[in-house]
Amino acid sequence: MHQLAIRLLLSILILVTPNVFSHDGINHSLIGKSKADSQEQCVEPTEIMQKEHFVFLYHQRDKTVIKGVRTKNHSFANCIDCHVSYDEKGKAIPINSEGQFCQTCHVQTAVNIDCFSCHASVPRGRKSVAKITLENEHNFHITKLTNEIINHVGDYSGEK
Amino acid sequence: MKNKPTTSRRDFIVKSLTAISAVYFIPDIITKAESAKPLAQEVTSDTKWAMSIDVDKCAKGCTACVDACVEENGLYGFDRPETDSQWIRKLTIKNIKDDKIKVVPMLCQHCENPPCCDVCPTGASFRRVDGIVMVNQHTCIGCRYCMMACPFKARSFVHENLTEQVTNAPRGKGCVESCNFCANRIDHGISTTACEEACMKEGHNAISFGDLSDTKSRVNSALKKKDNRRLRSDLSLKQRVTYSGI
Repeated sequence: MHQLAIRLLLSILILVTPNVFSHDGINHSLIGKSKADSQEQCVEPTEIMQKEHFVFLYHQRDKTVIKGVRTKNHSFANCIDCHVSYDEKGKAIPINSEGQFCQTCHVQTAVNIDCFSCHASVPRGRKSVAKITLENEHNFHITKLTNEIINHVGDYSGEK
Repeated sequence: MKNKPTTSRRDFIVKSLTAISAVYFIPDIITKAESAKPLAQEVTSDTKWAMSIDVDKCAKGCTACVDACVEENGLYGFDRPETDSQWIRKLTIKNIKDDKIKVVPMLCQHCENPPCCDVCPTGASFRRVDGIVMVNQHTCIGCRYCMMACPFKARSFVHENLTEQVTNAPRGKGCVESCNFCANRIDHGISTTACEEACMKEGHNAISFGDLSDTKSRVNSALKKKDNRRLRSDLSLKQRVTYSGI
């Protein structure tokens, strides 16, 4: 009986150890809540995102700066918008601060990121999309309507 | 205890109708809500962004355009006027012949032959095909050749670590920066810059921005109304920002 217990303990140790060192599949418990928490999947499957997110970002940054492409899927601003955590008071916590989305992995893998010496680490400033301008007031009205409908749908799917 | 139904029949019908209508109509509405350029489309040379500034309408003591630019791009400085970034600034000029004093908003002139791009060693200074001259801060090494080459002193260098950047205008220490005709707004289909909007709100209407290839654009009507000239036309830089009244 005693030996069996020791064997069981050993086997558990052996089984568990590799997971401690590998970074894959660990669910980080981040401080605060983010929009991404409620999503099933990021813009690509999670394994691809973990390994290749910087490839997408590099590609998108040149397309954005040089060619003016502003699609949301691989946009850096959109990453932050979705993954940034909010504390209890509803204030955004910088995404590169300790225990936050970017930092937890990058500390573990010892990869330094300097995105945030220039880019805002929380959504800040004016949003380009829902802006009233002198010319497209009509469009703004439609945008507002769309937002309302989307909110409704959001409520509905939340109840399921 | 029996399970209570969580939604009433009426609720259910209303919500499913909303959902169905959303599925059917949202794609239509969204395409309408997005204006001229879809987000995924690359900029083309069919669009030619330009600005015309009527100096006679520009008011002394008014800094609406400068303030709007600061707010739009998060250009908050350190109270060091010598080195703080200015993408647009107001100059006071005096005519030697008749001693008349005028104020002129000065910003990147978005030349068609930009000297800043000629001297840039890394290609970070570049001219987008729609005519916007800007800095690719990912490749800028901060040598400041472009600042020396620019005849209009339109560019600024960030000397210090920044913390309060806005999402729409990433900027940081060690890079040169300048007016980019609010490229972020334009790419999202808003065809007015922050400075123009502010000037209109103030009621001065000194700044007119728009697309040169669009005959109905505000810049084209401003160009028709008054004779415009380029500053330092002897350099033949073919600036896209032109001035009338000086």
